[in-house]
Amino acid sequence: MSKSLVSATSNLARAEYGMIQTENLTKIYNGKAAVDGLNLTVGEGEIFGFLGPNGAGKSTTILMLTGMIEPTAGRCLVNGIEVAKDPLAVKRIIGYLPEDVGFYGNLTAEQNLDYFARFYGMDAGERSERIAELLNLVHLDGVTQKAGEYSRGMKQRLGLAQALINDPAVLFLDEPTANLDPEGVREYRDLVLALAAEGKTIFVSSHILSEVRAVCRTVGLLAKGKLVAQGTLEEVARTLASPDGDTVRIVIETRERLPDLDDPEIIDIERNGNRAVIRATTDIRDRLAATLLEQGLHVREMRLEEPDIEDIFMAVYQR
Amino acid sequence: MALDRLLNVARKEFSDHITSRRFVIILALFLVISAIGMHTGIGSYNDRLESYNQQLQYMEESDVQIKVVGPYAGWMPEKPSIMLIFNAMMAYMTTLGAVLAIAIGFDLVSKEKETRSLKSLLSHPVYRDEIINGKALGGIAALGFAMALALAISLAMLLLFSIVPTLEEFVAILIFGVISLGFLLAYFAIALTMSTVSRESGNALIYTLVIFFAVSTLLPVLGAMAGEALAGEMPEPPQTAPMPTPMGRTVTGTASGGSFTTTSSQSVVHRVNEGPDPEWQQYEEDMKAYIEKRLLINDVTNLLSPQMNYYKAAMAVTNPRMAAMVSSPYGPTPEETPGLAEALSQVWMNIAALIVFPSVFFAAAYVGFMRMDIR
Repeated sequence: MSKSLVSATSNLARAEYGMIQTENLTKIYNGKAAVDGLNLTVGEGEIFGFLGPNGAGKSTTILMLTGMIEPTAGRCLVNGIEVAKDPLAVKRIIGYLPEDVGFYGNLTAEQNLDYFARFYGMDAGERSERIAELLNLVHLDGVTQKAGEYSRGMKQRLGLAQALINDPAVLFLDEPTANLDPEGVREYRDLVLALAAEGKTIFVSSHILSEVRAVCRTVGLLAKGKLVAQGTLEEVARTLASPDGDTVRIVIETRERLPDLDDPEIIDIERNGNRAVIRATTDIRDRLAATLLEQGLHVREMRLEEPDIEDIFMAVYQR
Repeated sequence: MALDRLLNVARKEFSDHITSRRFVIILALFLVISAIGMHTGIGSYNDRLESYNQQLQYMEESDVQIKVVGPYAGWMPEKPSIMLIFNAMMAYMTTLGAVLAIAIGFDLVSKEKETRSLKSLLSHPVYRDEIINGKALGGIAALGFAMALALAISLAMLLLFSIVPTLEEFVAILIFGVISLGFLLAYFAIALTMSTVSRESGNALIYTLVIFFAVSTLLPVLGAMAGEALAGEMPEPPQTAPMPTPMGRTVTGTASGGSFTTTSSQSVVHRVNEGPDPEWQQYEEDMKAYIEKRLLINDVTNLLSPQMNYYKAAMAVTNPRMAAMVSSPYGPTPEETPGLAEALSQVWMNIAALIVFPSVFFAAAYVGFMRMDIR
């Protein structure tokens, strides 16, 4: 098959499936489902945050997406290629930074990267140029120590370089900031945003919400191997905050004592003097404002109470 | 492309081995000790050569009649083979050589699991089988390099002492090298398998050493015990007839290779004044059958021991006369030292075992690696 035909097929498949797609993806270890019927779609150029507590199945999902283990059931596709059927084709277009990444302690950073680069059929000149560029990018240029003597932070930075050795279209990062100092974290965030600006799809797995929040545009929340919610952080938070339906919470404060409110959409009211939190089936702020105005009351505050994302995620983590 | 990836792994592994301190130290120790052993062997060879030359000279100077009649009729002194010199290396091969093979294999996979480099490696476009085959190939190449170095040094030593091997001797040296490599591969394969199935390198080393001692020490003992148990009752000598007088020749040879010693003796017995006693003749035949049965059971058990297989196969190359006597103590004593091909054909089972043993463990390492949980 010609290169252009492969590319065209790949584009078609990507348009149909998204850059990363899982369909009922399942992995069972010793009779227990580590990943259970996962359906996920990540579009091209997205920075996707894969959230979930430790043991939720995030790393197992990444191992299946990167072609390192085979699913028990279901399938996953990267750029339209089914990973289990052609793992090498997928590995050529992805980069993967494993959690707690490791290297050959007897080799320098350059030698480690050179070993990996050879698997992509790069010639000596290409390898040398790419390695110099990446070591400069992660601030390991000029380091002559062997990787065995590296600190965890240095290893993490080298891990990022090895994940980028083939200039991948899709990047999988598993707990990328776990061993980085604050400066390293800032540099990592800048790098991820720059890579996304180049059109790369980035899949960040983490259990730290603040980390995902800092760089990711969309998230998926995994708990006990199942996808609990997917979308923007706000969408996910809203979905999780109202498990019993689309209820909204309206905070209201008036200068005078708050009168009785009678609206069919109101479910309940928590009163506290001239303040109240109203739980309603829809956003009835306009009607409430009109009613209060009719009664000649002075409204000091009226707003929708946004769910606290940290609290919502924590509640899911603790389920 | 697949070959490229395999060779990339093998190249890195080979380079890791030959630059590792562990490999260099053990190999240096092995080479130094072997060289000392060979030096002693060369001295002993020179003594034998001198004695051979003296015998030749004596025969040339003596009356022709001595050669035709008399006790030495038809007897010609045999030129000592330089292969005897390699006996010393054989002994160290079964100890230090095995240690070298274990040292390069026991952490090949487990260390990658411990340092988590395996996950990084597997995230790049390379199949698992290419990794394990590349690791095996790299290790084999490193051991081949060690063996080639050992043979090169031994050849250099021979030349240094003005001993020039004949073509047949040169071929024998090469075959000795290949057989020795087969032995080293047996322990390398065991170590690689243990490294694949163990999570930690420490455990892999312990398991490998347990197997090493089991097959090198315990197995020959068990083989002997099994032989004794399964061969039945040892025949009793006849009570009535008088003990025959041993006459003719008795050949006794002792050969040692590493930690074990084999003694083989052969007697040709007949009565002096009378014809052969049927009872004693029967006893002789029963005893012969009994010993051969025991040896057979012992030999079959020992096929599982790389040491024993190596010892027999290498002995066939370095000391074929002794090997022939060891393999069939009740057979006729070879009038002439068997040729290389003949000697090797007598130990084909051992040579086959030296090929099968590492192959089985390499296959086990392959299956273990392919099924390994890399979480």
